[in-house]
Amino acid sequence: MTDGLTRVPEASGFRNRDDYAAALLNVVGDLSQEKSRLEELQRASLNILEDFAGEKVRFEETQRAMLNLLDDFASEREKSEAANRGLRVALESLRLAKEDVDSANRELEAFAYSVSHDLRAPLRTIGGFSQVLVEDCDAQLNEQGRDSLHRIVAAVEKMGQLIDDLLNLSRVTRVEMLRGPVDLTRMARKIFEEFRKFHPERQAEIVVADDLVGQGDERLLSVVLRNLIDNAWKFTSQREKARIEFGAAPAGGGQAFFFKDNGTGFDMAFAGKLFQPFQRLHTMRDFPGTGIGLATVKRIIERHGGRVWIEARPGQGATVYFTLAGEPEEREVR
Amino acid sequence: MKAKSILLVEDNPDDVVLTMRALAKSHVANSVDLAGDGVEALEYLFCTGKYAGRDPCLLPQVILLDLKMPRMDGLEVLRRIRADEKTRLLPVVILTTSSEERDKVESYKLGANSYIRKPVDFAQFAESVRQLGLYWLVLNEAP
Ligand SMILES: Nc1ncnc2c1ncn2[C@@H]1O[C@H](COP(=O)(O)OP(=O)(O)O)[C@@H](O)[C@H]1O
Ligand SMILES: [Mg+2]
Repeated sequence: MTDGLTRVPEASGFRNRDDYAAALLNVVGDLSQEKSRLEELQRASLNILEDFAGEKVRFEETQRAMLNLLDDFASEREKSEAANRGLRVALESLRLAKEDVDSANRELEAFAYSVSHDLRAPLRTIGGFSQVLVEDCDAQLNEQGRDSLHRIVAAVEKMGQLIDDLLNLSRVTRVEMLRGPVDLTRMARKIFEEFRKFHPERQAEIVVADDLVGQGDERLLSVVLRNLIDNAWKFTSQREKARIEFGAAPAGGGQAFFFKDNGTGFDMAFAGKLFQPFQRLHTMRDFPGTGIGLATVKRIIERHGGRVWIEARPGQGATVYFTLAGEPEEREVR
Repeated sequence: MKAKSILLVEDNPDDVVLTMRALAKSHVANSVDLAGDGVEALEYLFCTGKYAGRDPCLLPQVILLDLKMPRMDGLEVLRRIRADEKTRLLPVVILTTSSEERDKVESYKLGANSYIRKPVDFAQFAESVRQLGLYWLVLNEAP
């Protein structure tokens, strides 16, 4: 074998064996270098493969975890979709309920509108022609005829007032509320001023506290103030010197506004139903009215999430308290 | 020159009598033409139907318009009056029966010039006339 190796092949071009052997050694050396390089490469490859295998395991783990996550997610999604569906159903029935309320409101609105027109038409005729008699036929009437006529005119006025008050009562529960800070001091002073102008003959001491601000709907709150001032003014009408106060007092953590008068008052034993329509404690002759004012006040205050109550003593006057605290709209939803 | 007429649009005969009386008490010299409902009022104004033979140039001085009427209500009449070039500027006084603000707001939105609560009486009519600047409507015995 050695011979075979050391024999110089004919066509090799090497001049002698030594040259050939040297060249051969070179080649072998090259080869062994190649080999160790290859081995290194192989080791490196193996390392890489190993790393890769580790990576792969880790990758597979990640994949599994992700699949799990996806699974969880899918079931979560199913759950939340079910919840969503539930929510949608609830919203839909809420919407339907609101539509019902809206259409009931529209119906009420139409009803109130036609009451105000149709009920009033014959009343207007009675009043109008009674007026014709008063103005044009007075000379032909005797005392009894004149008296009857005046009673008719008064009754027509009363019924007109009743229709107005009832419509107003139904309206305050229907109108949209716009909440905001309302300057009650200014509002009350303005209304008192109107009453003074209307009855310049009356002696009344009016005390309105400064800086009374309520949260609520300006128009509705002015209906409240107007009704309470109207009562205080009316039920002090027989006082030599009437005194009416509008102020605020602490009540149950918040504040209560109050109208206090020194008027005729009443016995609290009968106060029970005062906030229902048509309930009155005084005679028409002494103190005329329709008995709808306090009911209207109560509805408005309740829409504001507040409370209203009255305290009185016969002959000593009355105090009406009301609060505006709370957000009734939100409370209803919960 | 003959004074232009007043057009009263009213379906209730009682109210017609009472309104006529108030106008007479206000010494209005203008003649009053009556339309029994909204449809008739438009026929009068646009010279169609029952009023096909009327001179279309003769527009009333002022229209007293009831709100609630059969066939066509006052608001619809007002809408049509304001929509037509020819009648757009006619003074319209709404006659209403209630203080329902809706009437007021809606009719003002449509361009009512004034508004009287029925029964029409002398005081309210005088106030409307003043608002409209139609002093010359009240002719007799006026200073
Ligand atoms: N300030 C007050 N003083 C005495 N009584 C009052 C006062 N406010 C209300 N009342 C009593 O409550 C009743 C109901 O009041 P309200 O509903 O406003 O009706 P009206 O004022 O039309 O009589 C009155 O008729 C009266 O008997
Ligand atoms: Mg009252």
